[in-house]
Amino acid sequence: MSAVSGLLPTRSGSGLGRLGRVAGSPLLRLIVKRVLLAIPILLGVSVLTFWVLSLIPGDPARAMLGMNATDQQVATLRHEYHLDESGPHRYLDWLTSALHGDLGTFMVSSQSMTSMLGDRWPVTFELVILAFVVSLGLAVPVALLAARWPGSVFDRISMLCSVTGLAVANYVLALLLAIVFAVELGVLPSIGYVSLSHSIVGNLKSMVLPTLAIAIPLFCFYTRFLRGDIVDQMQSEDYVDTARAKGIGPWRILWMHAFRNSSFGLITIVGLNVGTLVGGTVIIEQIFALPGLGQLLLQGINTRDTVVVQDLVILFAAIAVLANLLVDVLYAVLDPRIRYGSR
Amino acid sequence: MRRIANVNRRARLLGPLAVLVAVVLAVSACGSSSSNSSGANGEAGVNVGKPQSGGSLTVLEDSGFAGGYASGLDPATDTTGGANLPQMQSIFGGLFLLEADSKGQNAKIVPNQAQSYSFSDGGRTMTIKLRPGIKFSDGTPFDAQTVVWNMLRDSKSPCSCAPVWQLTKKNPIVAKGNLTVVIHMTQPNGSLISNFPISNVNWIASKSAFEKMGAAKFKTAPVGAGPFTVVSDKLSSELVLKKNPNYFKKGLPYLDNLTFKSVGGDQPAYQALEAGQADAYEGMSTVPLIDQAQKNSKFVVTQEPATSPYVVQLNTMKAPFNNIKAREAIYYATDFSAISKGLFKQDLPVSGSFVGPGGLFYHKSVPGYRSYDLAKAKQLVKELGGLTVQLGTTNIYTANQVMTALQTQWQKAGIKVTTHSYALNQVIQQFTSGSWNAMLQTAGAWDPAAGVGVAFRFASTSPFTGVKDPKLDQYFNEAGATTDPTKRDQDYLKAAEYISQKAYAPFGFAFSPANIAVKGVHGPGLTTPIPGLAVNTQVLWDQVWRAQ
Repeated sequence: MSAVSGLLPTRSGSGLGRLGRVAGSPLLRLIVKRVLLAIPILLGVSVLTFWVLSLIPGDPARAMLGMNATDQQVATLRHEYHLDESGPHRYLDWLTSALHGDLGTFMVSSQSMTSMLGDRWPVTFELVILAFVVSLGLAVPVALLAARWPGSVFDRISMLCSVTGLAVANYVLALLLAIVFAVELGVLPSIGYVSLSHSIVGNLKSMVLPTLAIAIPLFCFYTRFLRGDIVDQMQSEDYVDTARAKGIGPWRILWMHAFRNSSFGLITIVGLNVGTLVGGTVIIEQIFALPGLGQLLLQGINTRDTVVVQDLVILFAAIAVLANLLVDVLYAVLDPRIRYGSR
Repeated sequence: MRRIANVNRRARLLGPLAVLVAVVLAVSACGSSSSNSSGANGEAGVNVGKPQSGGSLTVLEDSGFAGGYASGLDPATDTTGGANLPQMQSIFGGLFLLEADSKGQNAKIVPNQAQSYSFSDGGRTMTIKLRPGIKFSDGTPFDAQTVVWNMLRDSKSPCSCAPVWQLTKKNPIVAKGNLTVVIHMTQPNGSLISNFPISNVNWIASKSAFEKMGAAKFKTAPVGAGPFTVVSDKLSSELVLKKNPNYFKKGLPYLDNLTFKSVGGDQPAYQALEAGQADAYEGMSTVPLIDQAQKNSKFVVTQEPATSPYVVQLNTMKAPFNNIKAREAIYYATDFSAISKGLFKQDLPVSGSFVGPGGLFYHKSVPGYRSYDLAKAKQLVKELGGLTVQLGTTNIYTANQVMTALQTQWQKAGIKVTTHSYALNQVIQQFTSGSWNAMLQTAGAWDPAAGVGVAFRFASTSPFTGVKDPKLDQYFNEAGATTDPTKRDQDYLKAAEYISQKAYAPFGFAFSPANIAVKGVHGPGLTTPIPGLAVNTQVLWDQVWRAQ
């Protein structure tokens, strides 16, 4: 045995042996596989976004400077922002800088994108997280109750609310919520954002209406989906009959068996919703005057700032990829067959 | 059968819900209404008592217009400076201001940080004397050297906001002593003074602060000599200001704090006002909301004297409007009078030119103007073998409504129309790219040559023109080259007749947006009318106060 072997921990001990086991775990292999798969996806999205943005007619530098600008001034600005370089060159420049943590500059204001994203991401992140927490927190118990007694008054009311909620666009709902809770009842603000560091209560109050405007349609969708799936499982699956035959109570069957199985579908939908939801914050942030990423994206589009749009599209894509990675991990946690690759 | 029964059951359940939603909507609509109408003239001619100092005010601005300032608030680079009057006036004050009496009449340009001005050399030289003793909020002196530095920087800026001055090549703008600035031009400019309050050169920035901060930082934390100083600024989102202790007007500003918040349109703004989250909103253009605000006892609604009529700009530099027949077809197919009655429930006077009833040199009619004639429009479209038009406008409620009405009218004449609604920056891009076809905009200003004036829409040198016609330029130059009001009136009438004769752009009625303030807030331009310099009125923020 060499000196090196003396440094290695024993098989039964902690350290490298444990690391080895972790490295060999199917879950970690799954995560690594998904992360590796995310790289070409994000590269593909970035190339596609860059290409689409380059197809938009007109010169951003001319648009920014106006017709009063001399050709020299336009050329200087184009050079400053590398607009005079070829598309592939600009893309590689952007990619290299982004990989080094430099996300470029918001052309019209000369502000660093890194600092702008740093200022704004907490708003959008909080909004999205709260919307998911509220929608899932409400949807699961309501769907379980409705599925426990299908056809009951509670079931019918919950389904009616779901259908109605799905039929109302979130911006209409946003205005309606503001009318009721801000204008009529005066209990919540209809615009503006209070940061968590400034006041926790103020922050939560400022986020209630935007959160509800996003969460209510989601809650309706999740409730409808989950209730239908659980009822289906309860009525047609053999394992439910077996459980009943064993004398297991209906609530336990519902919670431990049917819901656990239905949660696969729910997790898939939640994962798929993330991208749409982050995009959906653009309108809600505009209505409630929240200084988040959605508002920034709108400014970027209005000013034809390709760097802003590119950065934000990639960020949104990364969030969607990450959400789907989490979904895959949750699958594996819930179902060992996936973890060990037997399915 | 079971399906039908299910549907019926659903309908029975949906019925009460629909009623519930309707009740909520009705209650919310009625709850905010009151029989007390504040009228549309705000507090014009009303004695509201002695102004009081102190307090804070939150003012909402539409993020698509005054609340949009993505390029920052540095006067030399704020591409939307003409729209950002509230922010710019609050921070920088201004060399000159447009003021009116408490009824909104007798409007005139008055020196503010300037003490006086005069013209010499046949109008080619303008001399501005500065008010002594003014300091920037950073304590540095507001002197002629700084004003010259600002004006030269503005003039040389590649920004579309740069002043279009015909300056001499040698010593165009010079300081004489500490308090005199002399501007040398190659030709007289009679409207130069009217242009100031809406031009970026009106706002003088601290050179010392600029040099200390650098250009990028200065855009978000500009330093001026206006009534307020910047506390924090999130571009196109929120600008928090506090009283400038060094402000040169004794006892002003009245307010301790002033915050501008950008909102996504009239509806959220109105709701925020109703919820008590803001104290004022500038530039409300949604007619039903203006009506509702007028019936609400909580608000004072001030509709400013309308100066800028709608105009359908036609891009005469490309097909189809490089053909006069296509332009004539648009004239004959357009009935602004019907739009006024249909959309605004009032017979707003339709202008035949670029001046509205509240502006200087207004004429009720222009001889030879082609009025609505559907048969002639159809005939022209037939002769052209069809006419397809892309019509655009700024994404503002009223403008969108008018655009849709125009689309309907034009389609009746056989014109194929597609419409586009753009944010302000996108409108600028459309014009600068030259790809546009027809654009519904407003023309003129209080003085036809000021701000978004007639030259802005029609002069060959403007980035926002659809016309390049030396003869028309000549008319504008002549009108701008004299300070004699009678001569200017005649020249502008000639220009209006020429535009009409060439069918360059049909004009419509002038509609001015309204300012809404909660009761207890008072101030010139906010609760008393002042003619709109371009679109919105310039509120004199240093004189705005609230009852404590």
